[in-house]
Amino acid sequence: MEYEAIIGLETHIQLNTETKIFCNCKADSWGEPPNTNICPVCTGQPGVLPVLNKAVAEKAVLLATAMHAEVQRVSYFDRKNYFYPDLPKGYQITQFDRPIAIGGYLDLPMPEGYTRRVHIIKLHIEEDAGKTKHANGYRLIDFNRCGVPLIEMVTGPDLRSADEAAQYLIRLRQLVRWLGISEGNMEKAHIRCDANVSIRPKGADYLNPKTEIKNVNSIDAVREAIATEIQRQIREVEAGGKIEPWTLEWDEDAGVLRKMRSKETEADYRYFREPDLLPLVMDEEWKARILADFPELPLERRARFMAQYGLPEYDADILTTERALSDYYEAALQAYNGDPKRVSNWVINEVLRLLNERGLSADQLKVTPQYLAMIIRLVDKGTVNTSTGKALVVKVEDTGKPPKKIVEEEGLAQVSDTGALRQICEKIVAANPKEVEKYRSGKTSLIGWFVGQVMRETRGKANPKEVQKILRELLG
Amino acid sequence: MMELLRMEAHEIAAAVRAGKLSARDVLEATLERIASVDGIPGTIGGDPGAEPDKIHAFITLTAERARAQADAVDAKIAAGEDPGPLAGVPFTVKDIFVVEGTPSTAGSRILANYIGPYTATPVERMEAAGGVMLGKVNLDEFTFGSSNESSAFKPTPRNPWDTSRVPGGSSGGSAAAVAAGEGWLSLGTDTAGSIRQPAAFCGVVGLKPTYGRVSRYGLIAFGSSLDTPGPVARSVRDAALMLQVIAGRDPHDATSAAVPVPDYLAALEKDVRGLRVGLSPDYFRIVRAEGGELVEEPLPAEIKQAVLDTAERLANMGVEIVEDVPMPHNRYGIPAYFVIARVEAASNLHRYDGVKYGYRTPDRVADMREMYRKSRGQGFGLQPKLRILMGMYVSAAQYSERYYQRALQVRTLIRRDFEAVFDPEGKYRLDALLTPTTPTAAFPMGAVYGDSVLMQYADQLTVAANHAGVPGISVPVALNSEGLPLGVQLLGRDFDEATLLRLARAVEDAAAFTAKV
Amino acid sequence: MPEEEITPELFEHLVELAAFELGAEEAEYLRAELNKQLNAIHELEAVPLPPDTPITSHGVPYTREISAPPREDHWQPFPHPEKLMAQAPETEDGYIVVPDIPHEEL
Ligand SMILES: [Mg+2]
Ligand SMILES: [Zn+2]
Repeated sequence: MEYEAIIGLETHIQLNTETKIFCNCKADSWGEPPNTNICPVCTGQPGVLPVLNKAVAEKAVLLATAMHAEVQRVSYFDRKNYFYPDLPKGYQITQFDRPIAIGGYLDLPMPEGYTRRVHIIKLHIEEDAGKTKHANGYRLIDFNRCGVPLIEMVTGPDLRSADEAAQYLIRLRQLVRWLGISEGNMEKAHIRCDANVSIRPKGADYLNPKTEIKNVNSIDAVREAIATEIQRQIREVEAGGKIEPWTLEWDEDAGVLRKMRSKETEADYRYFREPDLLPLVMDEEWKARILADFPELPLERRARFMAQYGLPEYDADILTTERALSDYYEAALQAYNGDPKRVSNWVINEVLRLLNERGLSADQLKVTPQYLAMIIRLVDKGTVNTSTGKALVVKVEDTGKPPKKIVEEEGLAQVSDTGALRQICEKIVAANPKEVEKYRSGKTSLIGWFVGQVMRETRGKANPKEVQKILRELLG
Repeated sequence: MMELLRMEAHEIAAAVRAGKLSARDVLEATLERIASVDGIPGTIGGDPGAEPDKIHAFITLTAERARAQADAVDAKIAAGEDPGPLAGVPFTVKDIFVVEGTPSTAGSRILANYIGPYTATPVERMEAAGGVMLGKVNLDEFTFGSSNESSAFKPTPRNPWDTSRVPGGSSGGSAAAVAAGEGWLSLGTDTAGSIRQPAAFCGVVGLKPTYGRVSRYGLIAFGSSLDTPGPVARSVRDAALMLQVIAGRDPHDATSAAVPVPDYLAALEKDVRGLRVGLSPDYFRIVRAEGGELVEEPLPAEIKQAVLDTAERLANMGVEIVEDVPMPHNRYGIPAYFVIARVEAASNLHRYDGVKYGYRTPDRVADMREMYRKSRGQGFGLQPKLRILMGMYVSAAQYSERYYQRALQVRTLIRRDFEAVFDPEGKYRLDALLTPTTPTAAFPMGAVYGDSVLMQYADQLTVAANHAGVPGISVPVALNSEGLPLGVQLLGRDFDEATLLRLARAVEDAAAFTAKV
Repeated sequence: MPEEEITPELFEHLVELAAFELGAEEAEYLRAELNKQLNAIHELEAVPLPPDTPITSHGVPYTREISAPPREDHWQPFPHPEKLMAQAPETEDGYIVVPDIPHEEL
């Protein structure tokens, strides 16, 4: 029988606010010693009270809007009560039945060509807990992460394969970075994911019991853990077994799933309204201020790049991976005012290489879009040849000087003066009688070697087309 | 010395600011008074019956800290600076507030070793205003009680009017200290009547401000939607002086309201003529709960008489007395409170788990869960356990609708009663309601403690104000036939403490009541 | 006396939720008091309650005018994290030490 997988994801996205959600501690403690980025509030000292960080609500509204979710005018905070040593208050402040946004969707263009639409059930704000570390027979607790702001987003059971689940995370990561609400760094667990997985015969319209895979924190882990679980469920069902609603844990190193405590007694969190916080009122005025600079979203921009500039899907996809890069491309194109594909080639080949090599984002480059456009123009006009143009990209980045200035200072302008070139070509031909002999006896591919010699003589500045023309004449 | 002790706080502050008294002298006189009347402080494992004629208001006396503060006030005076409106006034703090560097125990074994790492906003404001903190006074464990007997720190406070009786609770240490002349002011908290009831029992003034008027930051939480810090003082004027200092918006408390704080002392100067004060028959009926059975009966005659006498005196001053004001949902205050306060308390007390501060069991434990169970089992007394268990029950997913949601709806009806009578366009258009504060005078120690329902009903005349959020003040007006103080309560409009204080001042002026000290 | 609503079994469940270890006598007292309190709580059922009655979370309505705005996102480090750590019953290398949480994986 053919099966299909039914997958829903719960993701926790760590926001890149300056401070924690309910106190003035720094939000990001990466690399800091344990229990140093803490205060009375986030360690749940007696008598303390939470005060909501405005930026958290604002970032949630940005994400909700990007997900086409309905931002609620009034939302509420609730307490989720449970004991765990990394939860200093004994309850997590979260949003339960009246979250900040409801509904929405994210479209996933799949490499195979189809688009999967994933529905969002709800999106809410909550605080993170601390970290626990195993020691030999006991545990170590670090509260630095307590109170880090999270957005939890729950999808419908709309994903149909491990690849689709991975694609969801890829697009989500792209989106949160695009919006500037999260670093979206999965190595630092800025996006964490729980996956609900079940299978059914292909085409069926009912849902089978599902298992929940906890804490899969990389895109590869999501793909592998879900694929592994789908295979396990198929084997189980084929063998006449039944799927139990287990909670599973993915061991990334061993590549195996392990079963966690059985779910039969669902914990009673005794949710109730957080009396220490007022309802979050997102009035139209505030919302309008938050959304005033709302950006064109990556998939929209990708489609526009194809339609407006006639770029191939491949180019459009790469140029829109990061917002800064796509802004860079458009700025360069505007400055260049010519063939969009030509600019795309330069950005994808030269600029992207530079970004990767130097770990920069496009908005940090000294070789600005305007400079890039100038360089391409210099190549177009034949002032420099292509390889000098490529080298110029790096030189501009290194020095911050305008491309023309570098060309002047370093004398990089291409030699197109036929008289001067003819002299050099004659010199080369005269100095290499053996090679001339071979060429004339039919090994015409040596033309490239001769061109190379001339280029060397001119330190790369010669116009290669012109050189070739003269050489053919002399050798002919 | 008694001369000094009989001065009011505002007089002390005025004298200190004028350089006529030194803060240090005031403090030393107060410390002497404490040494002579208070006896041994409450301790974990202390003898409950020790020194039965002493007050035992204190858990922690911070004399050295107080001396440093008093000296700082005197230094400011010497330097020509204004040390603030509480200059040199010694005050105590209910040990439910966290104060940096001092034990902050909530009267519980589970926090007995906890040293405050920060200072509660109202305490900070009092100290910044030149007040001199004497130390932390006893209370019911986590404020859970109306007699102070549930504190884990023994001996518990006794009533200065009759030390065989309770001072009331949970701000029992506060009321007893102020009544006994151990400091002029005390910072208390009121969740169902915990400022007003002990104030009535001890013959002092107790003010529960509007919810949101005074910051809760640093108040160890019980019922977060009900808890209100407020003054315990020997006079209405002193209560006004203290409220002036502690009131107002605090960025550390999201529920502290952005409402301007008026000049309360100036408000006291205004005439009460023309104000409308209501009397409600629903406050002249009480519920007696013994052995779990609830019996409705009339208010004891002498308490009712104290209220009626007060009304008559107010009428003589030109106040319009409005009779037969309906407050039909008052009687549901305690049942609703049993639910709401427990749900909040159970959650607020989750954090006491032996992990990061406070008591951790010394016993060997096999795992985390056992550590929780033993630490909480050994660290909490009976009253916190009772509240936590009830909170667990009424907020459990399957019961929440039946209990918690319903209690919150009943709370709406209680609130509406107040809105109706205070409505300026309505039938009654009241400026305040005049009611008894308590259904009885101070009861003997041991008479009620243990019967948690009977104890809770001690708050039946005060709790509605907490549900509704409105301000209330208890003013001592008379002694009963046994020589025990009786208080009357004024309940007012949201954030209108000024009118309440103005009326309370009139009540105080007209009453034939003399303070214990 | 009213019927016992909080049976010994239910009581055990609540004790488990509350994470208490109780002595027998203490447990008996607590269960009896809970049942007495429930008797009082049942008074609420006599309150005529229109079905659309809203709930009140805080007595005083927090109108827009009196509600404080959310906090600005500015870092202000707490000066004494070591004071917080000094309260911990057991620490090691800056971490708080607690007993193990076994049986997590089956
Ligand atoms: Mg969550
Ligand atoms: Zn913090």
